[in-house]
Amino acid sequence: MSGYFLGIDIGSLSCDAVIIDKSGRILSASVVPTGARNREAIERATGEALRDAGLARDRLAAMISTGYGRDRVEDRTAAVTEITCHARGIFELLPDVRLLIDIGGQDSKAVALGPNGKVVDFAMNDKCAAGTGRFLEAMARALGVDITELAEMDHGATRELTLSSMCTVFAESEVVSLIAQGMPENEIVRGLNRSIASRTVSLAKRVCTDPTRSVVAMSGGVAHNKGVVRALSDFLTTPVNVPPMPDTVGAYGAALIARDRAV
Amino acid sequence: MIKSYFDNMVDGIEKSLASGDASARKRYALSVARLGSRLYSGKDKVAWCGVTAPFDLLNSMGVTSCFVEFIGAMLAGMGAADPLLGKIEDAGYGPDTCAYHRAVIAAAKDGMMPVPDFLVATSAPCTGGLAVMETLAREFSRDLFVLHIPQTDDPDSVSYLADQLRELTDFVAFHTKVPFDMEKLRAASVLTNQARKLMVDAYRLAAAKPSPVAGKTLNNFGVVVALLLGTQEAVDVCRSFRDEFARKVERGEAGVPGEKLRLLWIQNRIQFKNDITDYLENEWGAVVVADELNAVTFGPIDPDDPFPGIARRSISIPLNGSVDRRLENLLSMCRDYSIDGAINPCHWGCRQGTGASAMIATGLKAAGVPVLNMDVDCIDRRNFAPGQIKTRLEAFIEMLSENKGV
Ligand code: SF4
Repeated sequence: MSGYFLGIDIGSLSCDAVIIDKSGRILSASVVPTGARNREAIERATGEALRDAGLARDRLAAMISTGYGRDRVEDRTAAVTEITCHARGIFELLPDVRLLIDIGGQDSKAVALGPNGKVVDFAMNDKCAAGTGRFLEAMARALGVDITELAEMDHGATRELTLSSMCTVFAESEVVSLIAQGMPENEIVRGLNRSIASRTVSLAKRVCTDPTRSVVAMSGGVAHNKGVVRALSDFLTTPVNVPPMPDTVGAYGAALIARDRAV
Repeated sequence: MIKSYFDNMVDGIEKSLASGDASARKRYALSVARLGSRLYSGKDKVAWCGVTAPFDLLNSMGVTSCFVEFIGAMLAGMGAADPLLGKIEDAGYGPDTCAYHRAVIAAAKDGMMPVPDFLVATSAPCTGGLAVMETLAREFSRDLFVLHIPQTDDPDSVSYLADQLRELTDFVAFHTKVPFDMEKLRAASVLTNQARKLMVDAYRLAAAKPSPVAGKTLNNFGVVVALLLGTQEAVDVCRSFRDEFARKVERGEAGVPGEKLRLLWIQNRIQFKNDITDYLENEWGAVVVADELNAVTFGPIDPDDPFPGIARRSISIPLNGSVDRRLENLLSMCRDYSIDGAINPCHWGCRQGTGASAMIATGLKAAGVPVLNMDVDCIDRRNFAPGQIKTRLEAFIEMLSENKGV
């Protein structure tokens, strides 16, 4: 087996590409916004990853696509769901993890893993995008801040505020009225984080009745938001591990599956 | 519109049977189309019913009868449910209720259901169904007989329901002006028993490895064939499935060549056109070999004393009674059919089904059978998100394949 392996994860918010060598070492990783045109995002993410790895396209031995746009990657070797890919990625990064929480742009998932890293059970959010990256994006808009700023905005907040509605549209208007009532921003952001966490925890408990007895990790773009991770950890009453570059775990898992299948 | 739909269906299937397509599924479809055609003919005595009504008893009394959810399913299958559902919501019916029922009420209000001679409601499987029957009785200004189905199979419950069935014969005779004839019910019971035995045999053969069935072969069969009980038609349909499966099993012929994974479908199928079973079979070799509602949960009827046996049958259906009993049935199906995983399409608005989904999932998982709970609407296509469903199904099958090493 010669060559390199590409994993590409086309989510609703970002398109991630990871290139590995046959030992599984990450050569490059790129994250670009998906935007309205999937194909352009795929091209851009792949192009950036190849450039950063210093590789020509023909050095790629296999490519696995994942994410909601996985079937739109034309030159893929195969398409694999994000559940399997995230599980594979986290197993390589943190092999002791038995419960993985992934909050992506429009889906959140809880995945239970066996000791061999295989998926034992999983649960996904229902059709509503509340509690996902899209939800946070809308709330950042309501607060008039950039989504990256939300991550630390809950500092100093202590109230047990939880937003009453988990519908993205209603929650947005609730945020607006809390601002109008003079509620401090840090308390509102803490409330948002708690809302996401409470919703995600019920998903997690569907696949793992006692998370305190499991090693828990979080992947996906929302894992960059330390406030959400803190809230999740509080609700689960157990630490939540976040690997470096949590948003590329799915693409990394896809690259590893490409490599595993080629062996 | 529906009348011509059934009439055309009868013509089409008869032609295809004459040209040599003698599959059991075709034979079954013909019987169902003929039943639909009779319901809409304007010639027969007609009763709209609840799901657990005693169709052999009604057939023996010369009444063409059908549970109303059949119409909801048929409209969805024809692609005609969506505008009706929209209309009924405009009229103030809550979109959170079961779309089988919303579609039926809409169809009745739109004049798409023949006015029956009377109605027979059943308190099982769901109280929503009972409310729909009351609504329809008012809509049609026709008398309604309510069968209160007990939840447990004990002597008191059976005799309580058997007594109601006897009263039902008076009610039917009053509306048809034809007296109840015990001889006819005895003969119908014999035919029910024959069909039952053939069904048991057919299901046993369906459990063979590889299974002679494809995902669509027995789609909706168990619930719908109940409408034909007590008739020769039911016996013929069941025999054609039994014979077809026996032939295939003898030759080692699979319903889906290259069967890799065997799936159990819980409760209802999705009634509007969708490619889920094709996709599972073609992409993954994953075959729905068993349906929860395709199970014989009742014993033979004593033709000389048929009422207790008919009562016991109504009580025994999987959605009646405790979840424990339902789970027991599912677990035995998992064993009999060597099931790798179960799919539970949690139908929007079905409190009866979705209320039990967590207990069912826990029970099956404890027995080593992974379960996928899918949030879908089996009738209302507007609540169907194909991309999301596909991801969940695909991830489930990836998980099963990995764990089975196929
Ligand atoms: S799907 Fe549920 S609510 Fe609808 S008819 Fe069936 S049991 Fe009743």
